[in-house]
Amino acid sequence: MTTKKAAARAVELTKIYGEGDARVAALDCVDVQFYQGELTAIMGPSGSGKSTLMHCVAGLDKATAGRTWIGDTELTKLGDDALTALRRDRVGFVFQAFNLLPTLTAWENIVLPLDLAGKRVDRAFADTIVNAVGLGDRLKHRPSQLSGGQQQRVACARALITRPDVIFADEPTGALDSQSSKELLDFLRRSVDELGQTVVMVTHDPTAASYADRIIKLADGRVL
Amino acid sequence: MLRAVLRDLRAHPGRVSMTLVAIVLGVGFVVATWVVSDSAAATIVSGQTRADFAVIVRTKDPAPLASIARAEGVVFGHSAVVKSDGKLGTGYFPEMAGTDWDASDRFHLIGGRGPEKAGEVALEERTAKDAGHGVGSSVRLLRQDGTSETVTVVGIYTYRTAAADEPMPVVAYDEATALRLAGGSFAWVELFGADPDAIAAQAKAKGFEDVKTRQQIADERAKEASQEAQIARNFLLVFAGVALMVGMFVIANTFTMLVAQRTRYFALLRAVGAKRRQVRRAILAEAAVIGLIGATVGAALGVGLGWVAMTLLRSTGETVIFAVSPLAILVGYLVGLVVTVVAAYGSARRGAAVPPVAALGTDYALPRRSLVIRTVLGFLALGGGTTMVLLTSHTDLSDWQRVVGMAGALLGCVGLLLLAPLLASAVLIPLSRVVSQRGSVVARVAVRNSIRDPRRTAATASALMIGLALVTAFATVGESLSDTFSRVVKADIRAETLVVRGVNGPTQDDIVPKVPGDATAVYHGWGEVDGRDRSITVVRGNGKGLARELPRGGALVREQFGKKVGDTVTVMGKTLRINGVYVDESFLYNGVVVDDPALLGEHSYLDGVYVADADRRALDAAFAERPDIIVMDREQLIMEFIGPLQLALGIVYALLGAAVLIAVFGVVNTLALSVLERTREIGVFRAVGASRGLVRRAIRRESVVIATYGGLLGVGIGVLLGGVMQHVILSQPIFSMAVPLPVVAGALGGMVVVGVLAALWPARRAARTDVLAAIATT
Repeated sequence: MTTKKAAARAVELTKIYGEGDARVAALDCVDVQFYQGELTAIMGPSGSGKSTLMHCVAGLDKATAGRTWIGDTELTKLGDDALTALRRDRVGFVFQAFNLLPTLTAWENIVLPLDLAGKRVDRAFADTIVNAVGLGDRLKHRPSQLSGGQQQRVACARALITRPDVIFADEPTGALDSQSSKELLDFLRRSVDELGQTVVMVTHDPTAASYADRIIKLADGRVL
Repeated sequence: MLRAVLRDLRAHPGRVSMTLVAIVLGVGFVVATWVVSDSAAATIVSGQTRADFAVIVRTKDPAPLASIARAEGVVFGHSAVVKSDGKLGTGYFPEMAGTDWDASDRFHLIGGRGPEKAGEVALEERTAKDAGHGVGSSVRLLRQDGTSETVTVVGIYTYRTAAADEPMPVVAYDEATALRLAGGSFAWVELFGADPDAIAAQAKAKGFEDVKTRQQIADERAKEASQEAQIARNFLLVFAGVALMVGMFVIANTFTMLVAQRTRYFALLRAVGAKRRQVRRAILAEAAVIGLIGATVGAALGVGLGWVAMTLLRSTGETVIFAVSPLAILVGYLVGLVVTVVAAYGSARRGAAVPPVAALGTDYALPRRSLVIRTVLGFLALGGGTTMVLLTSHTDLSDWQRVVGMAGALLGCVGLLLLAPLLASAVLIPLSRVVSQRGSVVARVAVRNSIRDPRRTAATASALMIGLALVTAFATVGESLSDTFSRVVKADIRAETLVVRGVNGPTQDDIVPKVPGDATAVYHGWGEVDGRDRSITVVRGNGKGLARELPRGGALVREQFGKKVGDTVTVMGKTLRINGVYVDESFLYNGVVVDDPALLGEHSYLDGVYVADADRRALDAAFAERPDIIVMDREQLIMEFIGPLQLALGIVYALLGAAVLIAVFGVVNTLALSVLERTREIGVFRAVGASRGLVRRAIRRESVVIATYGGLLGVGIGVLLGGVMQHVILSQPIFSMAVPLPVVAGALGGMVVVGVLAALWPARRAARTDVLAAIATT
């Protein structure tokens, strides 16, 4: 048994939507761990509960039952403000689209979590990330002036800027062409390999999943 | 097709209700104003008329008339009510304030009974209230000769006039006492009987003149009243017009947003085969439906508001009639319908132009309308208006030049309204740069959101601007008037000087010898000056309390008189050397100023006694027994004249308040719809760590930015507009206007408050945004 530490985990996680006949268990007593320094892919068909799993573990959604942790912090015990602070400081997000605030420049979007926390920007680290995503010359542009791939890379940079415990990516390549997809996945891979980041990626794209260290498959709300 | 669009509307009740409220408020205020002016007109026309008499004859002796019909002589004589502070009440003419009590409809008893013998009086209701008297209390009345008597109040009445020019007596005596007061003669005689025409004929046959039947008097009165009503209505409708204009901005803006937000829905309709024209028509029909519903509720609200206003008036003791004309309702519907459909037209065209493919994408935005034409028109209007104002900026204006100047100012304002989007960018973009460098995230996000759509921000701020600009303009005119008057008085009278005047202005000069200390009396009158009838001011005393040049045995003339120092002038047959020429406006001096008491003309009156180095207590004591005389200092003298102006301004502010209120709602509307539009980005904002409080603060800040921008623009335009208005009215230089600092500060401070309040609901809504729903990709 290796001594891999979990960056995030869930125990007996259950999420139920609706009542009576319309009752659907999106997650049915799921136990799952996401290890530090790994890129984990969550796969499964539509409606398998993969996004719900990510939302609950990331503190975006409340589970019906069960417990979740980021590091040693139990999310299921936290109120909205504490959850907000946790998302800001210890979790990074990359969504399929609409990742950026349209009125802020690329740079402002990247450092937004630090701004929100009132923290100083570590210039050296920020430069490393900006160089890694290859956006050096586009930092003053607004999201509307960037391509879809560039926008997603800005979102990745923003997710990395706080050196979070874990980055959750929800179908990050869903709206991208294959070239942009490849660049983005390369980048996520490198952030794991070179920066030691932990990444959890929800995807239904086998190519994307092939970048992962580990794949968790879901069907009908259960881990296969 | 229409059904599909209406269904979609029903599916988003929040959006529809926002639009509806805008229409309801706009229509409501217009209808309310119309109802109030209808009611005011009806009250003036029908109010307080009497129909009990048959004929009125102007004669001092009613005796011969008694043979024709029952005759009732009406007496008017001097009387004045002393208030509890020992001074006379104001608001009536003492010369005509006393009358004789009779059983006619002139008097409508509110309490007690009519006076029956000497020592009893009835008081007019408002005067009694003002002086603090009721039935049973003792009241001190001042006679014309300065003596006073204390009598018992036995009744309180309201008075009904017959003729339009009939004075309103405030004290009713028994007939014998009244006749004695009036020197034994009647002002007119009222004849009672069944057949006015026959009575009138008989009176004429007996040689009486000024015989008028009830019908003739009622006709004259109605004519006069309808003119008065028209003036009142026009006055109120100006304010309704302002509210309507503001309402138009809000409705148009709301509708534009409403269509913009449903872009995808329209695209979907187009994708499944709807023609452009069908989409356009559906949107217009939908606007008409919303307009109709809004107008109906608005009209009801307006009638209700009008009723409340009339009821409030009634509770102050005013006899008012509540009248709703069909026209009022019609105007409401017209406004609601036309404004909504016109506002929707541009949006409908753009909504119909949405390509079907937009239904597929998630972020299709309607193309922005070009601002080029609007900007060009704006500059033309602003340039034209400025030119018109500058061409008439000299101070000796003819009437048509005044009109040109005023029209220019208004044209300039229209220009600024057209340029508002450009101005919004010009003001807010630099602000956003500053904020980007030093501001917090909240400030940065807020300011940038406020300029995302300059047209929308401009429309929202413009609505606020119109109301505030008018408030500030009127305040500027009022302040300039007050300022000018107080400057004039201060140039005339020293600061420490006390003034002894009649409570009702001009008075008799028997008080002069009673004034202790260095008193200077100033009289105004008329007399022959160099062969023509002119104003003469007589200054008696050493002039120590005055800050002005004195005649020193000669005369002072106004510059326009055309003579210079050393020339002579003949005043009422006496040749005097001109010792000075005065140029500036004066409160004390009028026409030729002399100091020879012999030159007091026949109709001269004492304007006031100015006392230098006076002991206030000694002065007060000297006139403690003179209710008709009041002692005041210079500030009180100034306030005596400025006070009524402030009151009038207060009414204007209150009427403009409705327009400001509608505009405030416009801010709420814009914010709420913007929040709906930005659900996704607010969701992202929350996901990456913005707390609910932070989201709320960002929306609040945005609201304050928009409101303050509107406030700044409104105050700026208002001061300039006020400058032109006071220039046009007072012939003062344009930039000599006095800036009404309290109003300006109040308006700007108020806008910050408005910003915070307007954001309450939208901010709460934004903070409650469900992160998951917002970032879900469909």
